[in-house]
Amino acid sequence: MLLAFSSLSFQQTQNYDTVSKRKAAFLYNFTKLFDWPEKMKSGNFIIQIVGSNNNLNQELNRMASTKQIGNRKLEIRITSTLDPSLNPHIIYLLKESSDLLKDANSKYKGNGTLIVTEKAGAAKQGAAINFIVADDKLAIEYSKNNAKKTGLKTGDAITALAIAVD
Amino acid sequence: MIVLCNKVYAQSDSLDKAQKLCNEKKYVEAIVLLDKAISNPETKNNPHTWHMRSYAYLQSFKLSGNANISKINLLDTSMSSAILSIKLDVDSSKPYLEHNHAFIKNGAGLYYKLSTILLQDSLNDIKSEKLYLRYKSLTKIINSDFDFKARDIEYYNTMGSIFADLYMKNNFNQKQGEIAKKSLQKVLEIDEKNISANINLGILYYNQGATLMRMMDYDVDLAQLDIIQENAKKLFKQSLPFMIKVYELDPNTEKALESLEGIYSALLDDEKANEFKQKKEALNKK
Repeated sequence: MLLAFSSLSFQQTQNYDTVSKRKAAFLYNFTKLFDWPEKMKSGNFIIQIVGSNNNLNQELNRMASTKQIGNRKLEIRITSTLDPSLNPHIIYLLKESSDLLKDANSKYKGNGTLIVTEKAGAAKQGAAINFIVADDKLAIEYSKNNAKKTGLKTGDAITALAIAVD
Repeated sequence: MIVLCNKVYAQSDSLDKAQKLCNEKKYVEAIVLLDKAISNPETKNNPHTWHMRSYAYLQSFKLSGNANISKINLLDTSMSSAILSIKLDVDSSKPYLEHNHAFIKNGAGLYYKLSTILLQDSLNDIKSEKLYLRYKSLTKIINSDFDFKARDIEYYNTMGSIFADLYMKNNFNQKQGEIAKKSLQKVLEIDEKNISANINLGILYYNQGATLMRMMDYDVDLAQLDIIQENAKKLFKQSLPFMIKVYELDPNTEKALESLEGIYSALLDDEKANEFKQKKEALNKK
């Protein structure tokens, strides 16, 4: 007499990389928080990712298709090495590419390229911004000195929101 | 379904006529007479009156389509009449008890059916639960020892699953998410080790956190980004104990391993995320 309910099913976790989304949001904020040299204020705004992370690539490409930097197009370039032909506004060395930091410092000194890393201690080794985990959240270490060395200017906004390493 | 002829209590012409109409399946006409009979001092305290009324309303409801929610008042009247008939049936032989119980059992089954329709077709959780509780109260009348535990678990797990599904399909509708959570929590109040409820609740919390991230705009400022991360973190952490419980109950539950990898990844604990990723891969290799 009594009816059976339809069979129960387990729900599905969203197959969504929340960390990549957060990194993309941080990167977009960096485009607003720094002042690039005049020579870098025309043409596409280039963010170069050195290393392999498909989820991050997808997220950044999604961002580039929907956002601009002022009236400039956002361009995402994915490479496995420091590409001498590229002059990016932001270069993000993924963890597996952290050993390229020293070369990046040398290559981009005074060039106006913001160097971003995600390895412990990298902000003291030349990176202007280093992603860290603090309190189970994605956070950033910031080195004003390293940012200056690459020719960038910034106000106090980022200082208030990052962990200063200088 | 046979209605007893009244051999014990006083009879009246109107009841005789009503009986005849019932036998001829003319329930609507019978109801007219019976509704008068329940106000008549001669017949209002006769259990036979209420017994017949219960029968007539029950049959009338069934003829309206059995799943006709709009005619539920017929079923309600049938049940209240059967209950009153039982109360008035004071003769030691209780001639109406067995058949009144049969009406109530039939009615309980119909409420249960309607509660499933409201839940699965109309997605009306409030009305569905009301009818489910009605089913339970009627069942208790005929079987005071009935253990509803298994039934409750099935009902609330189904409600939780349906609304968790709706939450995902309807652009992460907050209200539907909360209904799902509340239902699954009820299951855990009955059975804290219920695998389905633990998994679904864990996933629901995780998905709510992931939704916050998904909906976030890229150009949210860093202060706001921190707030969003904090809120998502709380949801991911709420998800964790449910999944850990499932893992502890059965370390080979693939869903739990997969979810724990995701949750720890979202909490930026790469070490733990990798640990569960490897456990999942080892399980798949078996």
